[in-house]
Amino acid sequence: MLLNFASRFRSSRGVREIDSYSSSSSLQLSTFILLRRTICTIRMPTPDLNLSTNNSTNSNDEASCEDDVRAPSVQSTPDIEKNYVHRVYDAIAPHFSSTRFAKWPKVAEFLSSLKPGSVILDAGCGNGKYLGLNPDCFYIGCDISPPLIEICARRGHEVMVADAVNLPYRENFGDAAISIAVLHHLSTETRRRKAVEELIRVVRKGGLVLITVWAVEQEDESLLAKWTPLFNKYDDEWVDSSISLLRNQSNIKLESIPETAEDSGASKQVENRVKDVQENPDDKIVASPSVPSADNGCSITQQEYFVPWHLPFHRAEIGGASASALENGLAKKDDKKGAIVYNRYYHVFAEGELQRLVSGVENTAIVDQFYDKSNWCIVLEKI
Amino acid sequence: MRLLTHNMLSSNIRGVVNGFPLGIEAEKVVEREVELSAEFLRGVFPKIEWGALVAGARALGHPDLLPGEADASMLASDDFLRRFHRALLQLHVEEGALVCPETGRRFPINKGIPNMLLHEDEV
Repeated sequence: MLLNFASRFRSSRGVREIDSYSSSSSLQLSTFILLRRTICTIRMPTPDLNLSTNNSTNSNDEASCEDDVRAPSVQSTPDIEKNYVHRVYDAIAPHFSSTRFAKWPKVAEFLSSLKPGSVILDAGCGNGKYLGLNPDCFYIGCDISPPLIEICARRGHEVMVADAVNLPYRENFGDAAISIAVLHHLSTETRRRKAVEELIRVVRKGGLVLITVWAVEQEDESLLAKWTPLFNKYDDEWVDSSISLLRNQSNIKLESIPETAEDSGASKQVENRVKDVQENPDDKIVASPSVPSADNGCSITQQEYFVPWHLPFHRAEIGGASASALENGLAKKDDKKGAIVYNRYYHVFAEGELQRLVSGVENTAIVDQFYDKSNWCIVLEKI
Repeated sequence: MRLLTHNMLSSNIRGVVNGFPLGIEAEKVVEREVELSAEFLRGVFPKIEWGALVAGARALGHPDLLPGEADASMLASDDFLRRFHRALLQLHVEEGALVCPETGRRFPINKGIPNMLLHEDEV
């Protein structure tokens, strides 16, 4: 007889799966804001990144780095992920979970192909949609969102709260691992690669890893119009802004370029945006998608986005996460739609990017790679 | 949290050399029956660090459930399989904590869910 751990606890839901970005968000700004940095006058650690040149003009009033200021480790969560991934999922968990029940055939195929008795590790399991899918296997899931994990646990799954970039697992234990729509929430290449390394580390030799991520090349291109592209990333990697900009906001000079100067409504908007940025300087600056790109002849693929999530009022608990998110400017009310709009940070992957990412990981062989339903997917084997 | 999971968990605090196995402070333990699969038990046996499983069973209030040592030949015994199955899959820590063997840092378990997230200064 075979295992059937989770299936008897799993509730079936008759809700039609809702496309998370089917309702449009009207983020039409009639003004643009440029962020320009002055010479950096703050104390920052200087790891591998070439930031020390910025500090060179600053001498007398800044001592050299204190000994206890380390370079932020790759496992430290950057603010953009804290604010636009972790907090959002915590706030939308039950609503999100109710829209996440359809099993993606490709994932189901992968899981069903695994040997009975396998231990399968789901890193970033969300609401546990895939836990227990193949009833002959034992699943252990983890996610960084406690509310989502509680939903899994109530369904009888074996889960814990943990960070996919730093799995609290000893190595070689799992027979397989899956990472379904997770890596695109990591904001630096180093962290994304670390997450892949972790997946490989925790499975046994010969074990398989399935990774899926959202693609730049979306099947429905009209969806992209509903996403907010993000610009002006400081460097290739995030600097931990908790020790820099938030304490020295005067370093940030802002220029507002009103498109329609005569529109007092627009300039009011500018004021609010400027204020907003000054209070949250670690936010990436957003601009209207219609900003003309620099005419330098080459096109840069836009990969950083805020993707909206509309949390209906009746789903948002007043006085809880949503109330404080509104206060902090991390979410906005859309009265017309009767929803609170959250933004989720995504780094969508371009063709070939997953392969490149994985090529830097030791003991790994690519056994399959494909594009399916606007996702890039890859199957790895630990060798 | 089941002892199968505990057998995989390891403290990943920066600087810790060997974070396995974690100690268990079990405040509330429940047992839930689940169907025994000999095939699964035989398949998973090689992964298990037996000493950690024995210590776990003891921490959960079942010091005599498992033999101190085990080898694959014992999997032919139904009695052994039942004990192995009970320890691995039926006992759950609902409330308590996991303890890093080197630093003593406690990772809380609430409603059966361990929280293994590290603080900023631990990564």
